[in-house]
Amino acid sequence: MKVDLNWLQDYVDIDRPLEEIRDLLTEAGLECQIVESGPKVPESVIVGEVLSVENHPNADNLSVCFVNTGEPEPVQIVCGAPNVAAGQKVPVATVGTSLTPEFTLKKAKLRGVISNGMICAEDELGLSEDHSGIMVLDESCEIGKSLNNYLPQTVILDIDLTANRPDCMSHIGVAREVAALTGKPLKIPEITLQETGPDIHSLAQVDVLAADGCPRYTARVIQNVNIGPSPDWLKRRIEAIGLRPVNNVVDASNYVLHETGHPLHTFDYDKLAGHRIVVRYAEEGETFETLDHKERTLSRNVLLICDGKKPVAMAGVMGGLDSEISEDTVNVLIESAYFDPPTIRKGSKQQLLSTDSSKRFERGTDPNANCVYAQNRLASLILELAGGSCAKGMIDVYPKKIEPLSITMRFDRLKKITSLDISPKTCRTIFESLDISVLSMDDQTIHVLAPTFRPDLEREIDLIEEIIRIYGLNKIQANSRLQFSMPETVDSMNPFLNRIREIFMGFGFHEAISNSLVSQDMAKAGIWGYEPVRLMNPLSVDMNFLRTDLIQPLLHDLKLNAARKRQHVRLFEIGRVMEKDPSSETTVREHQNLGVIMCSDMWELHWLQSPAPADFFYGKGMLMRLLDNLGITNISLKTTDFNPNAYHIFMNIMSGKTQIGKIGEYDPEFLNKYQLEYPVVILELKLDEIFKRRKEVFKYKSVSPYPSMTRDISIVVDKNMESETLMKEIYQKGSKFLKDVVVYDQFMDDRKLTPGKKALSYRLWFQSDNRTLEDQDVDRIMEKIFNILIRKYGAQLR
Amino acid sequence: MTLLEKINHVRDQFKTDLERISDLKSWEELKNTYLGRKGLVSKLFSRIEDVPPQDRKTIGQALNSLKNELQNQVDSLRQALQEKVDESREVDYTLPGFPIFKGSRHPLTQAIDEMLSIFARLGFDIAYGPEVETDWYNFSSLNLPLNHPARDMQDTFYVDEGIMLRTHTSPVQTRYMTQHKPPVRIVAPGRVYRNEAISARSYCMFHQIEGLYVDKNVTFADLRGTLELFSKMYFGSDARIKFRTSYFPFTEPSAEVDVSCFLCNGKGCRVCKNTGWLEILGCGMVDPNVFKAVGYDPEEVSGYAFGLGVDRSVMQKLDIPDIRMLFDNDVEFLKQF
Ligand SMILES: [Zn+2]
Repeated sequence: MKVDLNWLQDYVDIDRPLEEIRDLLTEAGLECQIVESGPKVPESVIVGEVLSVENHPNADNLSVCFVNTGEPEPVQIVCGAPNVAAGQKVPVATVGTSLTPEFTLKKAKLRGVISNGMICAEDELGLSEDHSGIMVLDESCEIGKSLNNYLPQTVILDIDLTANRPDCMSHIGVAREVAALTGKPLKIPEITLQETGPDIHSLAQVDVLAADGCPRYTARVIQNVNIGPSPDWLKRRIEAIGLRPVNNVVDASNYVLHETGHPLHTFDYDKLAGHRIVVRYAEEGETFETLDHKERTLSRNVLLICDGKKPVAMAGVMGGLDSEISEDTVNVLIESAYFDPPTIRKGSKQQLLSTDSSKRFERGTDPNANCVYAQNRLASLILELAGGSCAKGMIDVYPKKIEPLSITMRFDRLKKITSLDISPKTCRTIFESLDISVLSMDDQTIHVLAPTFRPDLEREIDLIEEIIRIYGLNKIQANSRLQFSMPETVDSMNPFLNRIREIFMGFGFHEAISNSLVSQDMAKAGIWGYEPVRLMNPLSVDMNFLRTDLIQPLLHDLKLNAARKRQHVRLFEIGRVMEKDPSSETTVREHQNLGVIMCSDMWELHWLQSPAPADFFYGKGMLMRLLDNLGITNISLKTTDFNPNAYHIFMNIMSGKTQIGKIGEYDPEFLNKYQLEYPVVILELKLDEIFKRRKEVFKYKSVSPYPSMTRDISIVVDKNMESETLMKEIYQKGSKFLKDVVVYDQFMDDRKLTPGKKALSYRLWFQSDNRTLEDQDVDRIMEKIFNILIRKYGAQLR
Repeated sequence: MTLLEKINHVRDQFKTDLERISDLKSWEELKNTYLGRKGLVSKLFSRIEDVPPQDRKTIGQALNSLKNELQNQVDSLRQALQEKVDESREVDYTLPGFPIFKGSRHPLTQAIDEMLSIFARLGFDIAYGPEVETDWYNFSSLNLPLNHPARDMQDTFYVDEGIMLRTHTSPVQTRYMTQHKPPVRIVAPGRVYRNEAISARSYCMFHQIEGLYVDKNVTFADLRGTLELFSKMYFGSDARIKFRTSYFPFTEPSAEVDVSCFLCNGKGCRVCKNTGWLEILGCGMVDPNVFKAVGYDPEEVSGYAFGLGVDRSVMQKLDIPDIRMLFDNDVEFLKQF
């Protein structure tokens, strides 16, 4: 919202620095900025004082001037203007000034006399067309300063209005706030309307068939107007707030709109069939061409202004082409109405057409005083600008008056919310300064009438806000002894998530945050096979679904990194993935997951070790370390038939019978497709399941003070024998002394081994809690292990 | 010579050989001679088959202890030799150390965490809510009935009739209050969504932290106290705040809060666009209609709520020029934090 400072001062006196007004308005809820605009000249055009003027020795129409430009020595300038005289303050373009892109002023000899600059006329500075003589500046201009300091500037308060303050979408509305905040009176122009024409009722008729959508409709008719350009003052004001002047009637209408905030519509009276206005709802499928040259198909909830035959405007939104004011208009019908806010909002939404007028009606205009004031103000302004005569009387269809609300505010409630003791007298002053009339008051309560131009004032709390915003929100001091109350629970989710984040940071991973909105392909490729959730109104087709897993967005991130040739991409993300679930209140089930993607070496290029890609087993190692850190054991990996992508390895992570995650590695072909250097390993865990199973407290277990013993065994078994099965067996036979088993070698080589066999080497650690183990203790156990491996699994010792 | 004698012989011989080792090369030879695949110890092991069954156990033990003994001595010698080599500067210590991968936390979760921990110190519990919300929680319960113009303030993504991506974390307020009796003191972090064109300044998704305190006799002065304390803890002891009246349907009075610019301390700079202030959050006293929606009596309790946009403040603090960088997940970006 743009407010012209000069215009604003018609309604309220401003005797403080503008910055102070800006800050007061901003604190009171009208966030504003000061914007200056107006003509500008190059900075090197400065103020000079003509010291002397002498005739040019070689040219009659030129003179030689000495000008004080603030330099130690006066400057000699040859000037051709007839009006130059000693003692004048004038604009001087100094040498080097570019007055146009093609013309840069140089030191010059004019008919044999040196000229060090130019005394300028208005047209030479691009300020006007005037070339009658040089520009003579005011006495008070300071010598040597840039001329820009003295050019007239338009000062605009650019206000970012909140949706609850339609009353401030006008100069008078903002002036009322300024008046209340600075304690000045509000000056509203008085109107004296000469009604010299015939009775309005003999000229026009208004029928409101939709009183719910249009509670009030007023009309006046002005006859015999002269359509023409607006006077300069009006053009200037219209332009200052960013509008384009059209003609005197249209400009007057815009002027009154921005003065009073009430939208008005002017019709060419002679184009209204039957000189009638009919307000009704559109019929389903009815068509109407609006001013923007769009043929619109309407539905029943669009309110229309019609003449005797056809629609002439979408009520409160936009007029039609046919009845527009044109150069040929002679008679004008002015509409000033109050439309029901939800009705206008529905119509504007349905037609996807939002205008300055519709925004005002949607938020709520004043059905009472301002509606009529705006009507009369426009009528008198048209008479003033375009002549003609105003018909006697005003048509006013207002069957059911909208009464102002009476509201009571309790002073103790005011204190309870704000903590401040604001005196009843101060409250009264504040209300009255906002045109909220006080009906009665005692020491407990104040009883007021909320004006109908303030639709936001309905309840006690609304009044409390009025008091505090005018009194000064920042007068409320911080309570230095804060209240504190016992929380019912203490969250343990966030610490849990942070623990996972720290662990992955330690693994050398960067935490990612990816967009939850993905393409259909990505949503369908999700590793969980969830039914994806589609957006009804997406921003674009590549963001029209909610993600169903974290792997697809991370893969997307990986591709971006690959395209930028980043080395070693190791990312993890904690976030929600969504699944359609008709049984849920929101139709969606949300899962909190951890996603991991890795496309990297095990370590960066280094002299100590040759590079080795981090593969599936590196990922499995991290998984087991993470789960172990969280106290989750008894995890098994199960192969799965469900393999939605080109996975080379893809396994379900099971805790008992529950699936808690998935881990896999992409097919090597995938690497080629995106020119990746390393295998792509993925891991996704259901954190809700992990959270349930986690251990937070790790209790002490006794630590043996006795030394441990190791034994190595190497065996040959069938290729398809699972190492985990053997491991479990070894543990079982290993007795309580077996503390740890590690597979430290594995190979399959048909040349060295019998075809179809593989070799596995294990190292076993034995330890007792209460004595040093003897060799024979361990040998006995080893024998049992050998026996079972040989007997049950056909293993051969190597 | 019996196998047992041979074992002792090998042990003695080893001791003698051990004395002569002075460098890593000869150490390697010693190791191979005794403990290599075809070394002396292996050979002894291979002869165990010749021993009568009743003696195998004893011999086996002796062999195993020989192997362990030799292995230990070889290992400790290696260490001693290495130390000697190191001392003699055969290793160039200016060579870089082993490259441990850098890991990092996303700047947003770092900031969220820091903020949450500040509020935890002020006794706020953490609450969560779904990212897909019903109209009732996201709008209606927050005093934003159907056809309310203020709904336009938040461009909404819909997944179904009356079901949307939450446009703010405020629905966690009403979700929590419908499930808990006052007093209520929570903060709720989370992702929120707005159907706005993506640009350097705005993204379709961002992060908020919602705060809510409802109790008997909570005033605006408590709100101011809490936010002043938060600002000092988060931005530093010099931080000052100021309030500007604003409008949110779910609070009244409502305010925007500005904090003195952390970079110029209020003098004006590029980050604060020369105003000396940075907008950090919106807040206000909980609107009585919100209390009514969740079955609280607005005559009995009062409360304040605030909502803090994390992304914008992180961008200011870390001097990140484009919000999209936060969600690109370029490792060159992420590794900086
Ligand atoms: Zn600053």
